[in-house]
Amino acid sequence: MLVDYELIRRAREGDGPAFNELVAAYRKRILGTIARLIGRPEDVEDVGQEVFLRLYYSLDQLRSAEVFEPWLYRLTANAAYDYLRKRRRRLESRMADLSEQQVVLADAVAGEKVDRDEGQKKRIREAVDALLDRVSEEDRVLLTLKEVEGLSLKELGQIYHVKENALKVRLFRARQRVLKAFTAAHKTVAGVSSSR
Amino acid sequence: MDRESHSTGSDEARLEALFKAYRAACPDPEPSANFMPLLWQGIEARQSVSIVFSRLARNLMTAALALSILLGLVVSFSGSHVGQLPSESYVELLAEEHYSQSLDYYDPLRTTPATEQH
Repeated sequence: MLVDYELIRRAREGDGPAFNELVAAYRKRILGTIARLIGRPEDVEDVGQEVFLRLYYSLDQLRSAEVFEPWLYRLTANAAYDYLRKRRRRLESRMADLSEQQVVLADAVAGEKVDRDEGQKKRIREAVDALLDRVSEEDRVLLTLKEVEGLSLKELGQIYHVKENALKVRLFRARQRVLKAFTAAHKTVAGVSSSR
Repeated sequence: MDRESHSTGSDEARLEALFKAYRAACPDPEPSANFMPLLWQGIEARQSVSIVFSRLARNLMTAALALSILLGLVVSFSGSHVGQLPSESYVELLAEEHYSQSLDYYDPLRTTPATEQH
Protein backbone atom coordinates (compact mmCIF):
# COMPACT_ATOMS: atom_id res chain seq x y z
CA MET A 1 0.00 0.00 0.00
CA LEU A 2 1.28 3.42 -0.92
CA VAL A 3 -0.95 5.20 1.61
CA ASP A 4 -2.34 4.43 5.04
CA TYR A 5 -5.89 3.30 5.64
CA GLU A 6 -6.74 6.47 7.53
CA LEU A 7 -6.17 8.56 4.38
CA ILE A 8 -8.49 6.29 2.39
CA ARG A 9 -11.16 6.54 5.08
CA ARG A 10 -10.90 10.33 5.06
CA ALA A 11 -11.13 10.46 1.27
CA ARG A 12 -14.14 8.16 1.41
CA GLU A 13 -15.86 10.56 3.77
CA GLY A 14 -15.49 13.34 1.18
CA ASP A 15 -12.31 15.01 2.43
CA GLY A 16 -10.96 16.84 -0.67
CA PRO A 17 -7.31 17.22 0.45
CA ALA A 18 -7.23 13.53 1.41
CA PHE A 19 -8.50 12.62 -2.05
CA ASN A 20 -5.81 14.82 -3.61
CA GLU A 21 -3.16 13.04 -1.55
CA LEU A 22 -4.54 9.67 -2.59
CA VAL A 23 -4.45 10.58 -6.29
CA ALA A 24 -0.95 12.02 -5.97
CA ALA A 25 0.27 8.77 -4.40
CA TYR A 26 -1.17 6.46 -7.06
CA ARG A 27 -1.38 8.48 -10.26
CA LYS A 28 2.09 7.65 -11.61
CA ARG A 29 1.65 3.94 -11.05
CA ILE A 30 -1.86 3.95 -12.52
CA LEU A 31 -0.79 5.99 -15.56
CA GLY A 32 2.01 3.46 -16.15
CA THR A 33 -0.44 0.57 -16.00
CA ILE A 34 -2.80 2.36 -18.37
CA ALA A 35 0.07 3.09 -20.78
CA ARG A 36 0.88 -0.61 -20.95
CA LEU A 37 -2.76 -1.63 -21.15
CA ILE A 38 -3.78 0.64 -24.02
CA GLY A 39 -0.45 1.06 -25.81
CA ARG A 40 -1.09 4.65 -26.89
CA PRO A 41 0.82 7.22 -24.85
CA GLU A 42 -1.18 10.15 -26.21
CA ASP A 43 -4.39 8.91 -24.53
CA VAL A 44 -2.94 7.77 -21.21
CA GLU A 45 -3.81 10.95 -19.27
CA ASP A 46 -7.40 10.98 -20.51
CA VAL A 47 -7.96 7.40 -19.37
CA GLY A 48 -6.18 8.21 -16.10
CA GLN A 49 -8.55 11.13 -15.51
CA GLU A 50 -11.48 8.80 -16.09
CA VAL A 51 -10.09 6.28 -13.58
CA PHE A 52 -9.73 8.84 -10.79
CA LEU A 53 -13.07 10.42 -11.67
CA ARG A 54 -14.71 7.02 -11.27
CA LEU A 55 -12.75 6.55 -8.06
CA TYR A 56 -14.11 9.82 -6.66
CA TYR A 57 -17.70 8.83 -7.37
CA SER A 58 -17.38 5.24 -6.22
CA LEU A 59 -15.27 5.65 -3.08
CA ASP A 60 -18.38 5.51 -0.90
CA GLN A 61 -19.06 2.00 -2.24
CA LEU A 62 -15.66 0.73 -1.09
CA ARG A 63 -16.29 -1.90 1.59
CA SER A 64 -13.06 -1.35 3.49
CA ALA A 65 -9.78 0.49 3.07
CA GLU A 66 -7.93 -2.85 2.94
CA VAL A 67 -9.29 -3.64 -0.51
CA PHE A 68 -8.51 -0.22 -1.95
CA GLU A 69 -5.72 -1.30 -4.31
CA PRO A 70 -7.61 -4.14 -6.04
CA TRP A 71 -10.56 -1.73 -6.27
CA LEU A 72 -8.40 0.89 -7.98
CA TYR A 73 -6.91 -1.72 -10.33
CA ARG A 74 -10.41 -2.91 -11.16
CA LEU A 75 -11.42 0.65 -12.07
CA THR A 76 -8.25 0.96 -14.14
CA ALA A 77 -8.84 -2.31 -15.99
CA ASN A 78 -12.47 -1.32 -16.67
CA ALA A 79 -11.54 2.13 -17.96
CA ALA A 80 -8.83 0.65 -20.20
CA TYR A 81 -11.27 -1.97 -21.44
CA ASP A 82 -13.88 0.72 -22.25
CA TYR A 83 -11.27 2.77 -24.05
CA LEU A 84 -10.04 -0.20 -26.09
CA ARG A 85 -13.57 -1.18 -27.02
CA LYS A 86 -14.43 2.35 -28.13
CA ARG A 87 -11.32 2.67 -30.21
CA ARG A 88 -11.30 -0.77 -31.66
CA ARG A 89 -9.78 -0.29 -34.99
CA ARG A 90 -11.20 -2.09 -37.99
CA LEU A 91 -9.28 -5.22 -38.83
CA GLU A 92 -8.98 -4.11 -42.45
CA SER A 93 -7.28 -0.89 -41.44
CA ARG A 94 -4.83 -2.83 -39.33
CA MET A 95 -2.14 -4.96 -40.80
CA ALA A 96 -3.37 -8.51 -41.13
CA ASP A 97 -0.11 -9.66 -39.60
CA LEU A 98 2.73 -8.10 -37.77
CA SER A 99 5.03 -6.40 -40.20
CA GLU A 100 8.26 -8.13 -41.09
CA GLN A 101 10.18 -5.40 -39.35
CA GLN A 102 8.23 -5.92 -36.14
CA VAL A 103 8.80 -9.67 -36.14
CA VAL A 104 12.51 -9.22 -36.81
CA LEU A 105 12.55 -6.79 -33.92
CA ALA A 106 10.74 -9.27 -31.69
CA ASP A 107 13.40 -11.86 -32.57
CA ALA A 108 16.14 -9.39 -31.84
CA VAL A 109 14.54 -8.58 -28.49
CA ALA A 110 14.46 -12.26 -27.67
CA GLY A 111 18.16 -12.50 -28.51
CA GLU A 112 18.86 -9.28 -26.62
CA LYS A 113 20.58 -7.89 -29.67
CA VAL A 114 18.91 -4.53 -29.66
CA ASP A 115 20.12 -1.37 -28.16
CA ARG A 116 16.93 -0.06 -26.62
CA ASP A 117 16.97 3.53 -27.60
CA GLU A 118 13.79 5.57 -27.92
CA GLY A 119 13.10 4.59 -31.53
CA GLN A 120 13.39 0.91 -30.74
CA LYS A 121 11.26 1.27 -27.63
CA LYS A 122 8.62 2.86 -29.79
CA ARG A 123 8.82 -0.03 -32.24
CA ILE A 124 8.53 -2.56 -29.40
CA ARG A 125 5.43 -0.75 -28.16
CA GLU A 126 3.98 -0.82 -31.66
CA ALA A 127 4.81 -4.50 -32.11
CA VAL A 128 3.12 -5.51 -28.86
CA ASP A 129 0.22 -3.16 -29.53
CA ALA A 130 -0.30 -4.73 -32.97
CA LEU A 131 -0.04 -8.22 -31.49
CA LEU A 132 -2.50 -7.53 -28.68
CA ASP A 133 -4.86 -5.83 -31.12
CA ARG A 134 -5.40 -9.23 -32.68
CA VAL A 135 -7.04 -10.66 -29.55
CA SER A 136 -10.11 -9.51 -27.66
CA GLU A 137 -10.00 -6.60 -25.23
CA GLU A 138 -10.66 -9.01 -22.34
CA ASP A 139 -7.64 -11.14 -23.28
CA ARG A 140 -5.52 -8.07 -23.80
CA VAL A 141 -6.28 -6.55 -20.41
CA LEU A 142 -5.95 -9.84 -18.52
CA LEU A 143 -2.67 -10.82 -20.19
CA THR A 144 -1.14 -7.39 -19.77
CA LEU A 145 -1.98 -7.34 -16.07
CA LYS A 146 -0.44 -10.79 -15.63
CA GLU A 147 2.50 -10.86 -18.05
CA VAL A 148 3.52 -7.22 -18.19
CA GLU A 149 2.37 -5.77 -14.88
CA GLY A 150 3.39 -8.94 -13.09
CA LEU A 151 0.30 -9.21 -10.90
CA SER A 152 -0.11 -12.49 -9.05
CA LEU A 153 -3.07 -14.82 -9.47
CA LYS A 154 -4.26 -13.81 -6.01
CA GLU A 155 -4.19 -10.13 -6.93
CA LEU A 156 -5.94 -10.83 -10.23
CA GLY A 157 -8.55 -12.85 -8.36
CA GLN A 158 -9.26 -9.84 -6.13
CA ILE A 159 -9.54 -7.55 -9.15
CA TYR A 160 -11.76 -9.81 -11.24
CA HIS A 161 -13.66 -11.38 -8.31
CA VAL A 162 -12.93 -14.78 -9.80
CA LYS A 163 -11.43 -17.91 -8.22
CA GLU A 164 -7.80 -18.69 -9.00
CA ASN A 165 -8.58 -21.88 -10.92
CA ALA A 166 -11.01 -20.11 -13.21
CA LEU A 167 -8.42 -17.39 -13.75
CA LYS A 168 -5.76 -19.94 -14.65
CA VAL A 169 -8.03 -21.33 -17.35
CA ARG A 170 -8.81 -17.88 -18.71
CA LEU A 171 -5.15 -16.91 -18.68
CA PHE A 172 -4.11 -20.13 -20.40
CA ARG A 173 -6.66 -19.61 -23.18
CA ALA A 174 -5.74 -15.94 -23.62
CA ARG A 175 -2.08 -16.81 -23.79
CA GLN A 176 -2.74 -19.53 -26.35
CA ARG A 177 -4.62 -17.07 -28.54
CA VAL A 178 -1.82 -14.50 -28.38
CA LEU A 179 0.74 -17.21 -29.03
CA LYS A 180 -1.23 -18.37 -32.05
CA ALA A 181 -1.27 -14.83 -33.46
CA PHE A 182 2.44 -14.48 -32.73
CA THR A 183 3.30 -17.82 -34.40
CA ALA A 184 1.09 -16.99 -37.40
CA ALA A 185 2.92 -13.69 -37.81
CA HIS A 186 6.26 -15.48 -37.72
CA LYS A 187 5.13 -18.01 -40.31
CA THR A 188 3.89 -15.27 -42.63
CA VAL A 189 7.16 -13.41 -42.40
CA ALA A 190 9.16 -16.62 -42.89
CA GLY A 191 7.07 -17.40 -45.98
CA VAL A 192 7.58 -13.93 -47.40
CA SER A 193 11.34 -14.06 -46.69
CA SER A 194 11.82 -17.51 -48.28
CA SER A 195 9.85 -16.58 -51.41
CA ARG A 196 12.25 -13.69 -52.12
CA MET B 1 6.19 -33.49 -33.81
CA ASP B 2 9.32 -32.72 -31.79
CA ARG B 3 10.15 -29.95 -34.19
CA GLU B 4 6.69 -28.45 -33.82
CA SER B 5 6.76 -28.51 -30.03
CA HIS B 6 10.26 -27.07 -30.10
CA SER B 7 9.02 -24.27 -32.37
CA THR B 8 6.06 -23.57 -30.03
CA GLY B 9 8.44 -23.54 -27.09
CA SER B 10 10.72 -21.06 -28.78
CA ASP B 11 7.72 -18.91 -29.71
CA GLU B 12 6.67 -18.92 -26.07
CA ALA B 13 10.13 -17.84 -25.02
CA ARG B 14 10.12 -15.10 -27.68
CA LEU B 15 6.71 -13.90 -26.55
CA GLU B 16 7.85 -13.78 -22.95
CA ALA B 17 10.92 -11.80 -23.95
CA LEU B 18 8.77 -9.45 -25.98
CA PHE B 19 6.50 -8.81 -22.99
CA LYS B 20 9.53 -8.10 -20.82
CA ALA B 21 10.90 -5.69 -23.41
CA TYR B 22 7.49 -4.05 -23.61
CA ARG B 23 7.51 -3.53 -19.83
CA ALA B 24 10.91 -1.85 -20.13
CA ALA B 25 9.80 0.20 -23.15
CA CYS B 26 6.75 1.54 -21.29
CA PRO B 27 7.96 3.14 -18.06
CA ASP B 28 5.46 4.89 -15.77
CA PRO B 29 4.91 8.30 -17.39
CA GLU B 30 5.17 11.50 -15.39
CA PRO B 31 1.72 13.04 -14.94
CA SER B 32 1.35 16.47 -16.50
CA ALA B 33 1.25 19.55 -14.28
CA ASN B 34 -2.46 20.13 -14.87
CA PHE B 35 -3.51 16.58 -14.04
CA MET B 36 -5.11 17.55 -10.72
CA PRO B 37 -6.79 20.78 -11.94
CA LEU B 38 -8.26 18.88 -14.89
CA LEU B 39 -9.44 16.10 -12.60
CA TRP B 40 -11.25 18.55 -10.31
CA GLN B 41 -12.73 20.28 -13.35
CA GLY B 42 -14.09 16.92 -14.47
CA ILE B 43 -15.48 16.17 -11.01
CA GLU B 44 -17.17 19.57 -10.80
CA ALA B 45 -18.53 19.30 -14.36
CA ARG B 46 -20.10 15.94 -13.54
CA GLN B 47 -21.46 17.30 -10.28
CA SER B 48 -23.06 20.27 -12.08
CA VAL B 49 -24.65 17.92 -14.61
CA SER B 50 -26.13 15.83 -11.82
CA ILE B 51 -27.32 19.00 -10.06
CA VAL B 52 -29.06 20.17 -13.26
CA PHE B 53 -30.72 16.76 -13.63
CA SER B 54 -31.84 16.65 -10.02
CA ARG B 55 -33.29 20.19 -10.34
CA LEU B 56 -35.07 19.20 -13.53
CA ALA B 57 -36.45 16.08 -11.89
CA ARG B 58 -37.62 18.09 -8.87
CA ASN B 59 -39.36 20.66 -11.10
CA LEU B 60 -41.03 17.95 -13.11
CA MET B 61 -42.23 16.30 -9.92
CA THR B 62 -43.68 19.59 -8.64
CA ALA B 63 -45.42 20.20 -11.96
CA ALA B 64 -46.86 16.68 -11.97
CA LEU B 65 -48.11 17.13 -8.41
CA ALA B 66 -49.72 20.50 -9.26
CA LEU B 67 -51.36 19.00 -12.34
CA SER B 68 -52.75 16.06 -10.43
CA ILE B 69 -54.17 18.42 -7.75
CA LEU B 70 -55.73 20.55 -10.50
CA LEU B 71 -57.24 17.50 -12.18
CA GLY B 72 -58.53 16.30 -8.82
CA LEU B 73 -60.23 19.67 -8.28
CA VAL B 74 -61.77 19.63 -11.76
CA VAL B 75 -63.10 16.12 -11.25
CA SER B 76 -64.54 16.91 -7.83
CA PHE B 77 -66.14 20.14 -9.15
CA SER B 78 -67.74 18.40 -12.12
CA GLY B 79 -68.82 15.60 -9.79
CA SER B 80 -71.19 18.00 -7.99
CA HIS B 81 -73.20 18.35 -11.23
CA VAL B 82 -73.78 14.67 -11.62
CA GLY B 83 -77.41 15.07 -10.46
CA GLN B 84 -78.31 17.06 -13.54
CA LEU B 85 -77.19 14.37 -15.85
CA PRO B 86 -79.69 11.74 -17.03
CA SER B 87 -79.71 8.75 -14.78
CA GLU B 88 -80.38 6.23 -17.56
CA SER B 89 -77.58 4.51 -19.30
CA TYR B 90 -76.69 5.27 -22.87
CA VAL B 91 -78.29 2.06 -24.11
CA GLU B 92 -81.52 2.84 -22.24
CA LEU B 93 -81.64 6.33 -23.76
CA LEU B 94 -81.16 4.95 -27.23
CA ALA B 95 -83.83 2.35 -26.72
CA GLU B 96 -86.26 5.01 -25.53
CA GLU B 97 -85.56 7.28 -28.47
CA HIS B 98 -86.12 4.59 -31.05
CA TYR B 99 -89.05 3.00 -29.29
CA SER B 100 -91.66 4.14 -31.84
CA GLN B 101 -89.52 2.94 -34.76
CA SER B 102 -88.99 -0.40 -33.21
CA LEU B 103 -92.77 -0.79 -32.84
CA ASP B 104 -93.13 -0.50 -36.60
CA TYR B 105 -91.07 -3.57 -36.98
CA TYR B 106 -92.63 -5.66 -34.30
CA ASP B 107 -96.34 -4.72 -34.43
CA PRO B 108 -98.50 -7.40 -36.10
CA LEU B 109 -99.63 -6.64 -39.65
CA ARG B 110 -103.37 -5.84 -39.74
CA THR B 111 -105.22 -6.62 -42.93
CA THR B 112 -108.93 -6.13 -43.64
CA PRO B 113 -110.63 -8.90 -45.65
CA ALA B 114 -111.91 -7.82 -49.14
CA THR B 115 -115.52 -8.81 -48.48
CA GLU B 116 -115.77 -6.42 -45.56
CA GLN B 117 -114.69 -3.54 -47.81
CA HIS B 118 -117.65 -3.89 -50.14
